[in-house]
Amino acid sequence: MTQTKQDVTVNIGGVTRTLASARAGSMGRVPLVEFIGDSEFTKAVAEEMVVMIPEGTEVLLTVVTNALPLAHELSHLSGLPYECVRKKRRPYMQDPIIQDAPSMTLGVAETFWLDSPHAARLKGKKVAIVQDVISSGGTAQTLARIVERSGGTVSGYLAAFRQGESALALPFKYLEKLPARI
Amino acid sequence: MGITLGPVKTHNVQVGDVTRELPIVEVAPGVSVALFNMLGDTEVTEAAGKALARLLPADIDVLVTPEVKALSLAHVISRESGKPYIVIRKTQKPYMVDPVAREVVSITTGIPQLLVLDGFDVPKVKGRRVAIVDDVVSSGGTLHSLRQIIEEVGGEVCCILAVFTEGEEREEVTALGHLPLFSAD
Repeated sequence: MTQTKQDVTVNIGGVTRTLASARAGSMGRVPLVEFIGDSEFTKAVAEEMVVMIPEGTEVLLTVVTNALPLAHELSHLSGLPYECVRKKRRPYMQDPIIQDAPSMTLGVAETFWLDSPHAARLKGKKVAIVQDVISSGGTAQTLARIVERSGGTVSGYLAAFRQGESALALPFKYLEKLPARI
Repeated sequence: MGITLGPVKTHNVQVGDVTRELPIVEVAPGVSVALFNMLGDTEVTEAAGKALARLLPADIDVLVTPEVKALSLAHVISRESGKPYIVIRKTQKPYMVDPVAREVVSITTGIPQLLVLDGFDVPKVKGRRVAIVDDVVSSGGTLHSLRQIIEEVGGEVCCILAVFTEGEEREEVTALGHLPLFSAD
């Protein structure tokens, strides 16, 4: 392995991490932000992000898996409940909202699922969408559609990081930029 | 007890200072469970995580949890105890290095599912004292597979933490409570 690699280091709220990276097809390597397994970093990022939650927001919405501990911590700090969209059907789901999504990482179609009791908690509510990393905005658009179909309205879009320079169709708030590739 | 049509039956549980009415849901013909889902329930997750962190032996090196429902719980126990946690995934990801996989039949899904440990995480488990963290330990199938994976890569399972045991009580599990199984008759 003779590849040259440029480390990407982030510092959020006094916590510094050098990001791992993964090969992504012909794109080269992309930096990875890992909230799973890192409760210290997750807490620091959530503490910086909590002020980004738009006023009037009543519920947070995220999607599995990496952003889940971040959404939990944001919920804990803000006192707002959160709901979590799944990427697999579970047998106990009752009349779930099913929404096809463009995959961000692998070029494979993904399907998002939100069970009806959870969707009911978005109805009539102002919902902020929470993600770990925003790239093209495809995941956010899918989550926004689920909010709409649940009878809620989107109050804003929050991400810890923005990856790359592609034009965002949505008014995102984020803490820091990351390079699209290393 | 019998499950009949009509109002949704529930089962009352207490987690720390928090109480919840869990819906009783049929997961297989004649078998119903009290559905405990911590996803989106920050209050229960915080209460359970803080209580379980207090029960965590001081000599544990690392927490291991299966995705996805117990993930926020492991996050809270980690935050409160200062111990790192790793997550065993349910699908193999293209970026994983030398993943270790086991198949398990879950009572809540009824279908075989895969548990996968990224080879990248192996050094965090090898030679370490491990606490397994899960939301509900029921048939013990997931637990058995987790233990196999952890031991195969050289970790020692020293402790099992769960919010609830279900069906039969298990003395090897440190739990905050117990859920019965409900059979229709």
